[in-house]
Amino acid sequence: MQKMGKQKNKTASFSFWNWVIASIIFRLILIYFPKNLNLASRPEVSTPLTSFRRLAEGYWLKQLSMSPYAGFSFCFFFFSLCPTFFNFFFILIRQKKEMYLIFLVFGYSGSMYHGSPLLLSLLGPLTVKRIEGQPNHLLYSLVSVIADVVSAILIRATGKNLRLAYLRSLESLDIVQQTKASGEFFKILSPGDAAALIYLWNPFTIVACVGLSTSPIENMAVILCLYGACSRLVPLAAFGWVIATHLSLYPAILIIPVIFLLGCGPDAPPRKLFLQKNNKEEVLSKSKLRLGFSWRPITHFAFWALLWSAYVLVLCGISLKQFGGLWEMFKSTYGFILTVEDLSPNIGVLWYFFAEVFDFFRNFFLIVFHVNILFMIMPLAIRLHHRPCFLAFVYIAIFSMLKSYPSVGDSALYLGLLGWFVNELADIQFSFFLFCGYVGVSLLSPVMHTLWIWRGTGNANFYFATAMVYACLQIILVVEGVSAMLNHDRKLRNLATSKPQDAKS
Amino acid sequence: MATFINSKTIFRLLVLPCLLLYSSIAHNSSSVEATMHTNNWAVLVCTSRFWFNYRHMANTLSLYRTVKRLGIPDERIILMLADDMACNTRNKYPAQVFNNENHRLNLYGDNVEVDYRGYEVTVENFLRVLTGRHETSVPRSKRLLSDEGSHILLYMTGHGGDEFLKFQDSEELQSHDLADAVKQMKEKLRFKELLIMVDTCQAATLFNQLQSPGVLAIGSSMRGENSYSHHLDSDVGVSVVDRFTYYTLAFFERLNIYDNASLSSLFSSYNPSMLMSTAYCRRDLYQRRLEEVPVTNFFGSVMETIHTDAAYKALSRKDSGRFKAQMSLDQSVHHHERRTLINVNDQDEILNTKAEDQQGASTCPFTSFYEKLRKGENVDSLVNYGLVAMLPLLGVSSWLFQ
Repeated sequence: MQKMGKQKNKTASFSFWNWVIASIIFRLILIYFPKNLNLASRPEVSTPLTSFRRLAEGYWLKQLSMSPYAGFSFCFFFFSLCPTFFNFFFILIRQKKEMYLIFLVFGYSGSMYHGSPLLLSLLGPLTVKRIEGQPNHLLYSLVSVIADVVSAILIRATGKNLRLAYLRSLESLDIVQQTKASGEFFKILSPGDAAALIYLWNPFTIVACVGLSTSPIENMAVILCLYGACSRLVPLAAFGWVIATHLSLYPAILIIPVIFLLGCGPDAPPRKLFLQKNNKEEVLSKSKLRLGFSWRPITHFAFWALLWSAYVLVLCGISLKQFGGLWEMFKSTYGFILTVEDLSPNIGVLWYFFAEVFDFFRNFFLIVFHVNILFMIMPLAIRLHHRPCFLAFVYIAIFSMLKSYPSVGDSALYLGLLGWFVNELADIQFSFFLFCGYVGVSLLSPVMHTLWIWRGTGNANFYFATAMVYACLQIILVVEGVSAMLNHDRKLRNLATSKPQDAKS
Repeated sequence: MATFINSKTIFRLLVLPCLLLYSSIAHNSSSVEATMHTNNWAVLVCTSRFWFNYRHMANTLSLYRTVKRLGIPDERIILMLADDMACNTRNKYPAQVFNNENHRLNLYGDNVEVDYRGYEVTVENFLRVLTGRHETSVPRSKRLLSDEGSHILLYMTGHGGDEFLKFQDSEELQSHDLADAVKQMKEKLRFKELLIMVDTCQAATLFNQLQSPGVLAIGSSMRGENSYSHHLDSDVGVSVVDRFTYYTLAFFERLNIYDNASLSSLFSSYNPSMLMSTAYCRRDLYQRRLEEVPVTNFFGSVMETIHTDAAYKALSRKDSGRFKAQMSLDQSVHHHERRTLINVNDQDEILNTKAEDQQGASTCPFTSFYEKLRKGENVDSLVNYGLVAMLPLLGVSSWLFQ
């Protein structure tokens, strides 16, 4: 029985690696298509923050000893080099009876590159390196592929961790037998494998990887942070958090799930369930779970986070010393994210609104949109503090939807992390509807974009409609996911507390 | 009476003059601040059509060639030709326009870029070019995109009279139209200095209404005088050049791009007996002395070249002041004396080492490292080392502090 179990495990892991290798091969095949299938020019894939062309331009500026965040006067030189059409978006849209709607999007271009200077040093040389006979950006694509694979491996490891914790918590609640008997248990899917494979084979991830955006690297940093926090590797978690925040601002709110992970441990049913059990049966010794909230890892985390942030900031300061230093960097990266300067269309909801908001109210609405993310942090933290990984998933879903420049790479992250909770979220409502919705939006969105921009038979509202539907789908996913998780907790509580009655029959 | 004058009234009485005074001071101070001469533009207009006005076309094309030869690129020349002489059916030499009967020079090569041609040369378009008030569909090549640092040469030739210039044989540009357009240009800061050169009969009368400062006007004849053509080319069959333009070209053919002949020498080269008219120069609106202004300020476009050994760094504010001083020196550079190579970085280093000496820097390795950092030579490699070192540091720390 045990041998068969081990063999089963081996075959399971073997097929996992099969799938990983198959996904690498698939990505390589797509990379070898001419011009990366023009995915890098799709607004869903490359945003002003993740665009490959902007990275190349920032690197080119740096090579000329100019600031990578240089402004308009220097932009003339390399429009010939990088024929970007999405930064000179002068769109004239005519409604039949209504007025001209002119979207002067980024026509008077300010700086192009808005990412981290460390990415410039790291990935910059790869943007220009060419190998004879191979596709143009092979090395850069390979970096994205490697980042994806590393993320998948880390997701799998974290998933294993989560599964172990889940099993332990079920054991300590003595409801393993019930859950097995009620037939909802582990013939299943190991959550780690499921999540890793979902992440690797998600069309969004593949498109973000082949489309040469920097999303795979940002996702890798977030996953590294969560892995470190789950495995109690405090320096790793701090490093991942610092890098993720540095690359894109929003993962900063993941500090809350990380604190809960380090303090309490991975996902578990609510603590009071254990206390109830313990009150009833006094099986304190059996429970291997740490019940209290320990502050030591938190202080370690704070120390390491400070250390890594100082390191990163010193490196950035050195690299930008002649170009205005850290303040320039903060203005061009965080300031750009927070002030939503670039209004090129993307699958988010901010660009349309900020294209028509009056200047007088612009700051007010910027605050509203950003607080929209912030005010959801506290209630969710209070409700889901016993499940930090799920809390992290919800936070990631929220900021992937409401960030200034979302892309499909961001959605790829939380869709992959959804796989960790396949067992808990097994009876999520509207799952088929959501799946069809995602497929539909990802097919319709390029069509609407083409209708609007290239054929002129549509207008911005067509494209924004798909963006709104996408946001709605994400909202439904988050809401239903949270309610499914809470239902699962409720079910566990019923199973745990009603055990004596079940034992009778 | 005294009861009606309370403090409020006094306040109101005082506020308005104060505001006026303040606005005038502000305006004056803003007009006093000096703008740098940054670019040169040329607007060359030929206003007459028909074959017998060949010479006006040749005039304009000769000026075009001169101005291009002395350095103004096509992007900054607006050439308006009211008729096509080169491909006219009466032209014995197709695609060729001469300004001399020796046919030595073909003015209509393959790099002539005409911006307004034929019936597009109207008074309306001319005024639109000057004032910059175009329809949105007008392409950039047809616009005068000058700014407050531009020197503009405006050359017009054709048939004219007392306070007017004839366009296309059907409409006229009057002197007050021209003055109004120039006034608008000045208001919109579209030029720093403007040289208007007109070669028509009674050309000087066209400048009667000009009032804007910074405008220098040269006309080929005074009121009541005609401007005559120079000679007849019996082969082509018409007069090929006007006298005023002929002698202007004779002056410029002796020059090349590095010469610093002044405007006064240009003007004094006009001999009334040879011109058969009196060339007139209106200089009361022009503050500078003509002896100090080189002709290349308007007719050419001389670029400053400063050789640096290091990589290109964007000009910072403090450097531009230094370049201003250098530019005033450059006025007296002759052709055989190329500009001495000023190494900007060397100057920087000299200043830095001087500062160091004053501070008495020690030879500590840390300070030398810091100096290297300040100079920014090994920045990239340092950042790369830092990035690479991150990974082992991460691994070691994770392993140690599990």
